[in-house]
Amino acid sequence: MRRLPIIVCLWALAGGSARADADQRRAPGSGMPLPQIEAVAQPRVEALETWLKAVARHLPGEDDGSLKEMAGWPNANLKDLWVDANVLSQIIRSEAVRAVTGQRAAVQFSVRGEGQKTSTAIRYSMAQLRRMTVLACAAGGVLVDSPCRAMGAGEELDPEFRQIAVLARAARLRGDDNYIMRRGAILHSDVAILAPLSMNAPGDTRPSGGVERFRMEISDGQAVDLHQSAVHWEIARMLLDFVVPRGGNRPAPGRDDMVRQWYRATAAWMQLREDHDKLHLDRARTLFPSDPDILFLSACQRETYAGAPIQTAVRSAVLPTGVVLDVGSDRIELREAEALFRRALEIKPDYPEARLRYGRVMGLLGKHAEAAAELRRAVADLADRQLLYYAELFLGAEEEALGNRDAARVAYEQAAEGYPMAQSPLLALSQLARHYGDRGGALRAIDRLFALPDEDRDAHTEPWWWYYVAQGRDADALLETMQRPYVTERLQ
Amino acid sequence: MRTRLPIALALVLLECAGHAQQNPAFSSKVESVRVDVLVTDNGQPIRGLGPADFELLDNRVPQQVELVSFDDIPLNVILALDMSDSVAGERLEQLRGAGGGLLGALHTEDQAALVWFSHSVQRGARLTPDVAAVRRALGTAHGSGMTALVDGTYAGIMVGESDPGRGLLIVFSDGVDTSSWLRADAVLDAARRADVVVYGVSVVSRLKPEFLREITALTGGRLFEIEKTANLAATFLGILDEFRHRYLVSYTPKGVARDGWHKLDVRLKSRRATIKARPGYLAGS
Repeated sequence: MRRLPIIVCLWALAGGSARADADQRRAPGSGMPLPQIEAVAQPRVEALETWLKAVARHLPGEDDGSLKEMAGWPNANLKDLWVDANVLSQIIRSEAVRAVTGQRAAVQFSVRGEGQKTSTAIRYSMAQLRRMTVLACAAGGVLVDSPCRAMGAGEELDPEFRQIAVLARAARLRGDDNYIMRRGAILHSDVAILAPLSMNAPGDTRPSGGVERFRMEISDGQAVDLHQSAVHWEIARMLLDFVVPRGGNRPAPGRDDMVRQWYRATAAWMQLREDHDKLHLDRARTLFPSDPDILFLSACQRETYAGAPIQTAVRSAVLPTGVVLDVGSDRIELREAEALFRRALEIKPDYPEARLRYGRVMGLLGKHAEAAAELRRAVADLADRQLLYYAELFLGAEEEALGNRDAARVAYEQAAEGYPMAQSPLLALSQLARHYGDRGGALRAIDRLFALPDEDRDAHTEPWWWYYVAQGRDADALLETMQRPYVTERLQ
Repeated sequence: MRTRLPIALALVLLECAGHAQQNPAFSSKVESVRVDVLVTDNGQPIRGLGPADFELLDNRVPQQVELVSFDDIPLNVILALDMSDSVAGERLEQLRGAGGGLLGALHTEDQAALVWFSHSVQRGARLTPDVAAVRRALGTAHGSGMTALVDGTYAGIMVGESDPGRGLLIVFSDGVDTSSWLRADAVLDAARRADVVVYGVSVVSRLKPEFLREITALTGGRLFEIEKTANLAATFLGILDEFRHRYLVSYTPKGVARDGWHKLDVRLKSRRATIKARPGYLAGS
């Protein structure tokens, strides 16, 4: 028998923000928070240079040397990178900062991590700032523009950085002034996807002014591990926040199609791999509030959160102080899912996969008549064999709930016909018969289940076992489509 | 949705084949209800009771207890065992050992069956007096993945329902349900209609075994929550011993509705005792 993927990961909101807020210095008398200031150590700028070259070299979707290099970075370095790449992006995007090219006024920057209430001030030395600005000249593709020329940036860069500047400039001239942002996001999401073991960051307890995340691993409904996580997803999201859409002159990632594709593809991958991160889709919905696919995946995530594997794990988890699993009760999660599915269907009524899940969620909330209506419509509209199986199975349950015994039996039989090796329709048929006093029918249905050959029973024969990941089944294709335009124009 | 058409718990309709013929109490084609009853005093089973000792109320209507059997009725013992990922290595060996020990303690006229479940549900051995065959199946029991406890329990109940003999279902799980299709309330409904006593064995964790607690209470069985599986064999044997010390009380209902939920009260007329029996049955099936 093939094993089911039973390690589920739930991302937890770490004490980072709470601790940072609690530790924040306050002004005597007024109690007003004073800005936290983090001084930058010298090797960080060198690390930023290494990162820039890795970003430019990386072949999207490949487990190449650049990916391996980034996957090997300790999380403490990645947290620093989150800060420094953020500042670098600010420099690239700020005409004023770019123009001053290292003057005194620009030594302090401000960053705020996801979910944090307050910003952290980051202080660079004058030498660091000059180097950051030179790097911004290259990464922003403006090395030959007057401010960078005036400061002699090109003379301070090695041939590889000069090539990066050429590549970034070429992208700018094509109307896409986002060379480092897009490629950086792809590199870090590729690390999370292709080198998942590197996401485990044990022992890194250093408080961060930027981001801090925990990850809980679940096996069969029980939490088996909780550890700090490498912040690759956070770096990727941060970089995409600086994306300027074609024709724009300031960051507006919510108007950029690659960013939309990135969120859709990565969210689908996360759900396929049961690597659930609510923050990821919260950010996606903030950027794309009316995108039906983002709404659909958000709803699927909440539906999954309402399921037994996550609910039981959350109930059994022992969490350190300050760490919060952002999972509500099953009713709360189902209501969230219902609202998100409804919104997706309002925007895109011809979305039968959303409709079948909407129907299931409404059924679980006790709205059986409405659920049955949605599921009948889904059955009529669906062509995909697996989705049709789900719709028939769920419709059977709703017809049963409504007391429509014959309709329930027909729906279950149709599901069984679609997947003759699946056990769920047979269990359902047996239980339905037993409920109506047909003991013989119940025994005949269960005997059909018992007659199924063991060795052939796997996920391909029983889609119910994959229901909570089925929405991510196209993730690989979505990732490839999103990455394809960035395969060329790499640093060689 | 699952409250329609209440059906009898234990109508003993008896084309009973060979197995039931061993039991003279159920050899005629009479609709009667039978109730498995454990009678103890300070934890010790009370022996030697007869029909006249029992007072039985069906929906508060006193009934005439017709037959009481004790210790001489062959058993149908169904093992429904959790074979999810967490049951591996030493725990799997302990589970196999406990199952083997229990099979070894069966009488020659008893039958046994084996169901195991992870996310999938399988019948390792149908009800059979050939205990060696069940033992062989137990030796090959394997699994991995998630826990379909509710589905597996339902399958065990149905194996019990496949034969009119006296059914004991022992469900072992070291977790809670994470992947069943059937809903717990649907299986509890099936248990109300079935004539199978469910005993549960659960390994203590932060999660409460609510489903097992409910279904064991509903069928007059018991839930054992154990700290570890090292002594699982003793727990299984204890269950078998306790079950053998139960009375099988039967009566033909009079003065009560033919269907619906029937609340049962079983007492001793002449002495104090602790009585464990199912709280009722669903008539009509």
